Amino acid sequence: MADTASPPFEPRRERRAALAQFLAGGSQASHVEIIRLEPLRGGAIQENWAIDARFAGGTLAGEQPLVLRTAAPTGVPASLDRLQEFAVLRAAFAAGVRVPEPLFASEDAEIFGKPFFIMRRVTGTAAAYRITRDPVLEPELPGIAERLGRELARIHAIRPPCADLAFLPAYQDARPEAQIAGFRAYLDRHPVPRPVLEWGIRWLEDHIPPPVEPVLCHHDFRTGNYMLDGNRLTGILDWEFAGWGDPHEDIGWFCCKGWRFARLDREAGGISDRAPFYRGYESEAGSPVDPPRAFFWEVLASVRWAIIALQQSDRYMIGGERNLELALTGRRASECELEILMLLDPNGAPSSA
Amino acid sequence: MRDLPTGPALLALARDVLLRDLLPVLPDEAALDARLVASSMAIAEREAEASAHAPPAVAGELEKFYDAEGGETASLLRRLAHDLRTGAFERSGPQDDQARQILWQLTISKLRLANPRFLAANGFR
Repeated sequence: MADTASPPFEPRRERRAALAQFLAGGSQASHVEIIRLEPLRGGAIQENWAIDARFAGGTLAGEQPLVLRTAAPTGVPASLDRLQEFAVLRAAFAAGVRVPEPLFASEDAEIFGKPFFIMRRVTGTAAAYRITRDPVLEPELPGIAERLGRELARIHAIRPPCADLAFLPAYQDARPEAQIAGFRAYLDRHPVPRPVLEWGIRWLEDHIPPPVEPVLCHHDFRTGNYMLDGNRLTGILDWEFAGWGDPHEDIGWFCCKGWRFARLDREAGGISDRAPFYRGYESEAGSPVDPPRAFFWEVLASVRWAIIALQQSDRYMIGGERNLELALTGRRASECELEILMLLDPNGAPSSA
Repeated sequence: MRDLPTGPALLALARDVLLRDLLPVLPDEAALDARLVASSMAIAEREAEASAHAPPAVAGELEKFYDAEGGETASLLRRLAHDLRTGAFERSGPQDDQARQILWQLTISKLRLANPRFLAANGFR
């Protein structure tokens, strides 16, 4: 969120005025002046705008760095709308998870053209390649992994029923059976056959672990979705896929190879080996990580990543969204397929390959 | 017969100009897009180069596996995908092994075009 992209459009003056009025109403300020409003780079699915606003009086008196989060032109299936994401962020903030403080939300399209919410802008970088190969950060990374483990356990301490989160998809929807059905339905519509994914999905079907008591899962908890300012964790971002689920799903996702960036050898998010991450998680959760269950979810993570990669390129191929990064992401599906083979085929690659 | 330099050679040169000459003078906010353009050009170059040579070995392996000489690769791949979904080879050790070998070949040959660096980072040439 620290990098600024070239602006796709300058919001009309009346939009800025409407936004200023909205912020004043939410904060009981007598007046709000918007000093800066520009898009931030990095949200493939959502659009984030940096706002610097000066509040005259009210709960946010003074100059405040904020972020406005709204939907990108085309979304991917299974993501929460902005008001729902706002509610999840509020629940996480209330549970003591390190997140940017959520402030206001609106579904009034008259203000910014589409529903949005406002949160505080936290400092630092989420740039995954920078984090995984910064020599200055290197000695701090095991400590950061441990901290992230604790944060994840704090998220998982939020359990249903939870009146404010009643809209979240049911646990049944996140069960492997439902995800497998979703993967296959997608592949049936996809023009290119993906035999490796079919093989991996078949393995998943044969190894589904028994159900657990569901918890709040972030469902995209990984390097690239947390902000670091030096060695300080300043916020866990991008809650649009949150839902009830198996806590090991988040653990498998964090550790899967698709999210290790510059350091494929460091199994906890490319920042450390698993031990500090698991240690932090277990100390906060008060219960041990179950490695075979985490392995199952890690295989599922590679399948899910591959499907998401294909869906991202569909946004160009089918949705017509002119975005080179999305178009190229489809090529990453084969990286996930290699990982599925490496995880599940004990014999390894034949010499002829 | 086309004139020289070939399409892949032009792409390679254009990519070199982009990365060496243009990238250093582009504003920071355009650097990521420039790198994405360079990656796209590299994929296109490798694909053009590969298609100028023999079809990938995996096509032949698929034909052998299904005893379907001259069969269309896309429809054989679709058949393989369907068979793997239903576990068609799970009771036959040799067929299961052969199918898995095809999966490895298919994946490695795709990554040679899409991301040879990732392949190398995982210990494959």
